[in-house]
Amino acid sequence: VSPAADPAVISPQDPTLLIGSSLVATCTLSPDFPLKAEDLYWTLNGRRLPAASYAALGPSTLSVALARLNGSRQQSGDNLVCHSRDGGILAGSCLYVGLPPEKPVNITCWSKNMKDLTCKWAPGTEGETFLHTNYTLKYKRRWYGQDNTCQEYHTAGTYSCHIPKDLALFTPYEIWVEASNRLGVAVSDVVMLDILDVVTTDPPSDVHVSRVGDLEDQLSVRWSSPPALKDFLFQAKYQIQYRVEDSSEWKVVDDVGNQTSCRLAGLRPGTVYFVQVRCNPFSIYGSKKAGIWSDWSNPTAASTPRSERVAGGCDAKGGEQNTTLRRELKQFFGWVKKHAYGCSNLGIKLYDQWRVWLQKSHKTRNQVGKEP
Amino acid sequence: SPTGDSWGIFTFLCAALCNLPALPALNCSEELGAGQSIQQTYDLTRYLEHQLRTLAGTYLNYLGPPFNEPDFNPPRLARAERVPSATVDLDLWRGLTDNARLAANYRAYSRLLCYLRVLDGQVGTAELRHRLAHFCASLQGLVLSIGGVMSSLGYPLPAGPAAPPASPGAPAAPNDFLKKMDDFWLLKELQTWLWRSAKDFNRLKKKVPPAVVTLRLEARGF
Repeated sequence: VSPAADPAVISPQDPTLLIGSSLVATCTLSPDFPLKAEDLYWTLNGRRLPAASYAALGPSTLSVALARLNGSRQQSGDNLVCHSRDGGILAGSCLYVGLPPEKPVNITCWSKNMKDLTCKWAPGTEGETFLHTNYTLKYKRRWYGQDNTCQEYHTAGTYSCHIPKDLALFTPYEIWVEASNRLGVAVSDVVMLDILDVVTTDPPSDVHVSRVGDLEDQLSVRWSSPPALKDFLFQAKYQIQYRVEDSSEWKVVDDVGNQTSCRLAGLRPGTVYFVQVRCNPFSIYGSKKAGIWSDWSNPTAASTPRSERVAGGCDAKGGEQNTTLRRELKQFFGWVKKHAYGCSNLGIKLYDQWRVWLQKSHKTRNQVGKEP
Repeated sequence: SPTGDSWGIFTFLCAALCNLPALPALNCSEELGAGQSIQQTYDLTRYLEHQLRTLAGTYLNYLGPPFNEPDFNPPRLARAERVPSATVDLDLWRGLTDNARLAANYRAYSRLLCYLRVLDGQVGTAELRHRLAHFCASLQGLVLSIGGVMSSLGYPLPAGPAAPPASPGAPAAPNDFLKKMDDFWLLKELQTWLWRSAKDFNRLKKKVPPAVVTLRLEARGF
């Protein structure tokens, strides 16, 4: 079945234009159509264009002049439509108005445990969103090998790509990003790196924070080195950051070196602290360069002891954090049994109510902070 | 216009169906079998209808005005006819055998799934591609569910609905604007089909084979 002839034809059909350019488009009615040029009107993205910009170029052709076009409203193209007087659609053309891409910039890459490579970059300008811009990350071994193309995009944000395998160590790679859209192509500068220079790893596991006997101003932090790198020759260095429960300011301990434990001192007594640790696998295989810091471990909370005795309080013997917590929970559930008629609605509200009650019935607070 | 008449018929169809007496819902929670599958298929069409609303909203915004305007109703050009239409004469619809009813649904969604998958390959933004992929997976589930109902009732599956992604009979839209119109009608037709399917499966629920009904009554100690 041959399709019926279209009522009209627009020219140019689906053009690509630079921002700021002008365009004259024509709508030509098909000969079997009983309309005339004066029965037509134009809309752009649903808005009627002023009749002053129209011109009849013949009995069945109406043109419209568009000046200083803005970037396309949507990447699928601006909708320029030729209508008959009653509003019916006769034909349409998609206008792609934008800018050619600029060189992508700020290419940064990292390798997780020397197994893969993830790179991210930034587009050259803001103006690249009018047209759909395609980014391709390419890489090759310096001095030989052909160009390879990265396949897995958007793994670490919009402008990122992940190379999962077949990467060689001890050899420099050239990496670059090509941006292309309907108006042109742009290639970033080439970045050169060796996988071993950009290694990062998982955050340290099993981070434990505990009190140091009865000492009010100290906490002991212990962790394990990340298991993924245990087979490789590397020295790890660590960093600790900690903050008080109700502050957003982190204090950083930088000179932790290669150890897997550290004692924090000079802390406030009777305060809850949140602690995080991260790892930098530097000197992999003797490389002198620093690696890339891992993410921070999940925050671990602990509180420093307070020396005063408290009526019905929680710290008397030894003040180990776990025993305190256990006692507090026992108290909490005891209170709940009295006031909550069954456990079905145990929730945050109830816990808050209990804390308020605690505050009223004890002189000092001894809270254990919740893990964020 | 012909389009207007089809819409009129369908509206009448909906109004008539809403007045049909409804049987009390049987409790089919534990049992497998046709009754359970029909209920599940019905639920799936409602879920897809809900998903489609979000997908269509996002997609039509991507196409830009006037496609995303609420009263937009462009001409349905000849090339758009290749998408199977849900609208049908009321008497014809009433008179459908269970087999024919199910087969119509099965064929329609198989075709619609193909066209949607083609869309998936061409669409611009990552967000849209992600939503489309999710919707296609759910739609695939619906096709399988309908197939399951047909098998459990002993009906053969319609032959070869798995046409190659680009249906050989219909040409691809010759320009970008016409393609946008095709996409608009595809979404519209999907919406109409999901509305219709809910009625189809509601009707099928009431015609669950007697054998299954007897079993259930026995279980209740009648």
